[in-house]
Amino acid sequence: MTAAGVAKLLPGIASVQLVESEEIGIVGVGEATLPHIRGFVEKLGIDEAAFMKATHATYKLGIDFRDFGRIGESYIHPFGSFGEEVAGVGFHHWWLELSRHGMAREIGDYSLAVAAAKANRFRPPAQDDSLASTYGYAYQFDATLFGPFMRDFARGIGVERHEGRVVSVERDGPSGNVTALILADGRRIEGDLFVDCSGFRSILLGQELGEEWEDWTHWLPCDRAAAMPCTHATQDLRPYTTATAMPAGWRWQIPLQHRMGNGYVFSSAHITEEQACEAIIAAAEGTPLADPRILKFRPGRRSRSWSHNVVGVGLASGFLEPLESTSIYLAQMAITYLIELFPVGGTIDPRDRDEFNRLVDMEYDRVRDFLILHYHATTRDDSEFWNHVRTMQVPDSLAGKLELWRRAGRIEKYSDGLFYDASWIAVYVGQGMMPEAHDPRAAMIAPDALVRATERLRMAVTGEVATMPGHRDYLMREAARLAEAA
Amino acid sequence: MSLPREPMRRVVVAGGGQLGVIAAIALRRALPATEVVVIGTPPSPAAFADTSVTAMPFTNKLHDRLGIDEEHIVTRAGGSYRLVTRYAGWDGEGPGGVVAYGEALDPALKTAFARDWGAVRLPGAGAPPAGSLAEVLAAAGRFAPPPPGEPTPISSVDYALRWNPAAYRALLIAQAEALGIGYVQGTIDRLEPGEGDAIRAIGIAGQGMIEADLFLDCSGPQASLLAAHPRFAFTDWSATLPTRHVYLAAPAAPVLALEDRLTLTRAGWVSEVAGLDGLYRMLGTPAPLPRAEVEALLGGRAMGAVALTPGRAEAPWIGNIVALGDAAARFEPLGPLHLDLAHRQLALLIEMLPGRDIAPLERDEYNRRSVLMMEGVHEVLAMHFAGPAAQAVFGARDLLGRVAAVIDQFARRGRIPFREELPLLGQEQFALLVALGWSPGLPPAAHAADAAIEARARAAFEAEAQAALAFAPPYDQWLARALQAKASSG
Repeated sequence: MTAAGVAKLLPGIASVQLVESEEIGIVGVGEATLPHIRGFVEKLGIDEAAFMKATHATYKLGIDFRDFGRIGESYIHPFGSFGEEVAGVGFHHWWLELSRHGMAREIGDYSLAVAAAKANRFRPPAQDDSLASTYGYAYQFDATLFGPFMRDFARGIGVERHEGRVVSVERDGPSGNVTALILADGRRIEGDLFVDCSGFRSILLGQELGEEWEDWTHWLPCDRAAAMPCTHATQDLRPYTTATAMPAGWRWQIPLQHRMGNGYVFSSAHITEEQACEAIIAAAEGTPLADPRILKFRPGRRSRSWSHNVVGVGLASGFLEPLESTSIYLAQMAITYLIELFPVGGTIDPRDRDEFNRLVDMEYDRVRDFLILHYHATTRDDSEFWNHVRTMQVPDSLAGKLELWRRAGRIEKYSDGLFYDASWIAVYVGQGMMPEAHDPRAAMIAPDALVRATERLRMAVTGEVATMPGHRDYLMREAARLAEAA
Repeated sequence: MSLPREPMRRVVVAGGGQLGVIAAIALRRALPATEVVVIGTPPSPAAFADTSVTAMPFTNKLHDRLGIDEEHIVTRAGGSYRLVTRYAGWDGEGPGGVVAYGEALDPALKTAFARDWGAVRLPGAGAPPAGSLAEVLAAAGRFAPPPPGEPTPISSVDYALRWNPAAYRALLIAQAEALGIGYVQGTIDRLEPGEGDAIRAIGIAGQGMIEADLFLDCSGPQASLLAAHPRFAFTDWSATLPTRHVYLAAPAAPVLALEDRLTLTRAGWVSEVAGLDGLYRMLGTPAPLPRAEVEALLGGRAMGAVALTPGRAEAPWIGNIVALGDAAARFEPLGPLHLDLAHRQLALLIEMLPGRDIAPLERDEYNRRSVLMMEGVHEVLAMHFAGPAAQAVFGARDLLGRVAAVIDQFARRGRIPFREELPLLGQEQFALLVALGWSPGLPPAAHAADAAIEARARAAFEAEAQAALAFAPPYDQWLARALQAKASSG
């Protein structure tokens, strides 16, 4: 992604050399994304249907969270809003008021993205101000195909690829900058700027420069995943990812065109790898297509993602578990900021480096708080793991947000960063964390008038969903269009 | 189960200027069952939010939400339109610049502008190319407010309103009366403490006490309520904002114009706001000046002077007192930021409307965002004094760190870092920095950008400009017709 992004968006500024090794391979799990990925694909000038065909991708309208707040309960965190603000008062306040009178349906019934996801239907959103424009979408694709797709794209626009393993790193004495990578066969690859996309090994930023790792395990105790693909059990193709809470973590189901990706993200302090593998085999809905594989990780981020002339992108700079599908987003975000702050004229200005680190840290920290919320907002007491996350002390930045919600039903607002009001409301309400009080204005309309208004909205949502094609039908139609165009 | 919060029974607004009255209207509209009482305290000439003759585009949205008809402001309160502000003198001998509202430009056009007008800018070069449709319209004297909800060639043009403050206030009072808002004329002489940090009541000299659940302090820079609270603290901005004296001129002959002016002179800045009732001029200086010199710089008779210590309340909401406008932040009227800030803070309060019981964390969240808004104003003002021409007049000083970072990114990369709750959008800041004499650098992508893309963006802008000029009527004729229609309809 980085090589493709830099080569495409900064043509002629720098020659881009991609060093990778077939020996190391790609972490081969299904990958769910966020709507931002569409902007990236579009900016590179890649046709969506061709991209989806190559990566066996499906569409995604949100994530279905099961058993998080309480076993047996579920909710969808949609890429879209719930209802709309009326008279300056957010929809959830009206919904809380209706709930008080026992007249509210599930809050997801007032969201087009949720209703479409539940019905396994999909159509891209409208480009106007209508109800049909109130959602976004992302992709679920095969990461083992996405990497090579991006690599081929990058090579097609002039990126030079070097097959080989990095065995040592040369540095300049006075500045400490990296000057060259030495490959196993003795080749020497020089550069002015090095982007470390080597994953957890973080061979430049971590191993060579020793950038400190800020560990977040105390808030996010999951440190392993057992991943295993299986066949689709039914004809229905879900336009959403499923995250189901488990006794020592949670498991994903990511529907791709040709198979279902499964994985159990767990805390090795609470269960063994063998137990996790057994659990994922037992939970698979279709026939397993491979043995479970164990992936190891540590949540946290490096204290600086850009140090000297090395920029870490992806796991080399930080890791947050894929509970909200943020991995690709965090990589894309770093690439975008790198392009914006790319050194011009051969020298790196420390002010650009500081600005990059400020932006990257802010994004990681905000996502971190949102993930912690999923664990902390629970009544589950059925395992040591859930007892720990339910009762742990959360970061101050999150504690304030929780208290603001609890006392007044309000969301801390910001315009920068990733998750906004609707996302926080989805998780708070979905996990049964209801506020004590809501906006005084919500009680000024008679409940029956409120019911009439929200029912009109719900009927409009239902009506709109009825006009949408099935997810699989839409994918096939797009594939046919692509074949015709070719 | 979540319960609706018990609505406030009574809200008292201290200050009956245009800010206090609109704040009362906003609260009464949000809570029709809550009694709202305005205390008409003696007006202060230093309450710039109350004496301001203009605001920014956000105020138009607020008017809209509160049912304050823009047409009524034009026909009954001497309303007129500003599309741009022209800056002169801030870039020394340079050609100055023009700042419009909104963020509608194609980024490629901004890059093309930076290329033409950025690092390669030569001394003595001509004026920069027009940077917005608003600038093209203002130069041609053509404009009429675009009809809402229907796409036109000028729909992307954002504008600010000006008015006669007395007439505008009268318009607001008429609406306040229709809404049943109470009014008491008097001077606040004491605060009676309530539970915790809250106050129970305030005393009006000779008229007894009035209780309320929430008190809005719109009393101007003296902050009669907030500053009297034992926990009040003031954050001083003197080190970064050098204006200490503001002189006001008697209004000169009316001016019909789509632009206003901010000029840096040898002794201070001069602001000129065109009005149908007269030209409003102000002078801001770092040190007191003799009357003759003030009048020479103002180009007319001086009517008053205000001494200024800039800064803000550390927390604009303490207990159950919320300060708005000059009671929350004092700063020079360099551009129409006073009412814009006050109106954005008011909208924030209405968004976060509390019940009778105020949760400490909602106060904290309000204060967090409100402080960001005030510091955003601080940052924009400090930018004005960062350049060599301004420092020659106002003295050299350390730059506010945030301002230095923005200017650095702008000058090297043509980049405006995003900040929460800033009064200006990215494109507005871009234009302001150009007008203040800073040259935009090129973003990395522009170094290798396809010249054809920029040429297409230029051609597209040219076509849009022609369409806008063909669509918009001559502003003077449109305004005359609008006023005549009002006169003939009575």
